[in-house]
Amino acid sequence: MISDAARRRYQAIVPPHVDDAYALARWLSGSPIDAEDIVQEAALRALNALETATVEKPRAWFLRIVRNAALTWMAKNRPKAVALAGGIDDLATLESSEFSGDDGSPEAILIAAEDGERVRQAIAALPTPLREALVLREVNGLAYREIADATEAPIGTVMSRLARARATLAKMLEEKR
Amino acid sequence: MSETNPDRDELRLNAALDDELDAAHRLELEREIADDPRLSAAMDRLSAVRTAVRRHVVADPAPARLQVAVAALGRPRQSRLRPALALAACLAVGVFVGAAAQTVLSSMRQPGAVATALVADFARAEIAGRPFDVATSDRHVVKPWLATRAPLGVEAVDLASAGYPLAGGRVAVIGATPVPTLVYQRHEHWIAVTELPLSLAGPSWASAAALDGFHLARWTDKERAYVAVSDIDSPELTDFVAAFRVAATAGASEPK
Repeated sequence: MISDAARRRYQAIVPPHVDDAYALARWLSGSPIDAEDIVQEAALRALNALETATVEKPRAWFLRIVRNAALTWMAKNRPKAVALAGGIDDLATLESSEFSGDDGSPEAILIAAEDGERVRQAIAALPTPLREALVLREVNGLAYREIADATEAPIGTVMSRLARARATLAKMLEEKR
Repeated sequence: MSETNPDRDELRLNAALDDELDAAHRLELEREIADDPRLSAAMDRLSAVRTAVRRHVVADPAPARLQVAVAALGRPRQSRLRPALALAACLAVGVFVGAAAQTVLSSMRQPGAVATALVADFARAEIAGRPFDVATSDRHVVKPWLATRAPLGVEAVDLASAGYPLAGGRVAVIGATPVPTLVYQRHEHWIAVTELPLSLAGPSWASAAALDGFHLARWTDKERAYVAVSDIDSPELTDFVAAFRVAATAGASEPK
């Protein structure tokens, strides 16, 4: 049985961030329906954890639970997608993020950016570790430190993933179609 | 630079874009960008990517039902019913029902196994965020849906005009018997009305009671017993029961 104290802590921490949680779950799972299940699962986990946990940064704390619930969900329901995305060690083989200041052009990217579907597909195609860093930054508006907390990664890794995510997106958007 | 890792310049450009550089480093980078067309082009490219992402990645708010379900998890359980309040609730029901049907008011026994099972069912559904198996406010959908699983004796009345819209239906299970349950909504709260054969309803208990922080109401007609379980408070549940019984009685006299 959950104590009233835990419910009070939950009430202060979780409901205010349900929009953020839903946006993250949606971009990680790729499905609005699944995102609802993931957020509910995460809310239950949060309630149980608040029986004992003390929370200093509520938003990053809850988004970490959402992220973990989403990864569990994806491993269970989309094992292929997770295998394709690979671990962070495989990222090097998936794409090389060469510093390409002297090739490609902002204009090509901006032209491609007119096509919303193309941009969304490009983001959806990013490997999960890159996509989650990008979404936490651009959609949830988290600072690097908070992204590091939410993804349980060192801050250097967060910076590297964000740079790779953007370099990969730039390449995909520059390609002629 | 490394083949696989973003180099130092690229990390700095990204950090500048994300407003994560302190003033001194930012100034230093801005000077370098001014002197180096390669760095300047890379920054433009990153800005273009950000523009593309921000333009098309709009964070939709969570659906209302998700907000409700998430908020419901954290509501403190209401305190147990005080005896005086229970008595008042009984009287309120008694005054109302008078002529409509026989109501068991005399027995003040505690709710039994049936009530415990229904409360557990309600709590499970609430925590899972799935208070109903068929979600619709259309009573002409709910009743046929239940008909093949656990037929209802009464009409699936809609009480939207009284402030309790029908939200759906589900099947609860007592022992091994499926029993039909109508689910109504009251603001962020749910009220589940389960219909039971008298043989299954067990010994009668007070018409209003509380169990594990949920409130219950029970009433009977000639053939069946009804149990309402809710997380709304007891006087409100009494009002609901009154509205339900009026509508159900009216529904029964309508031509089918």
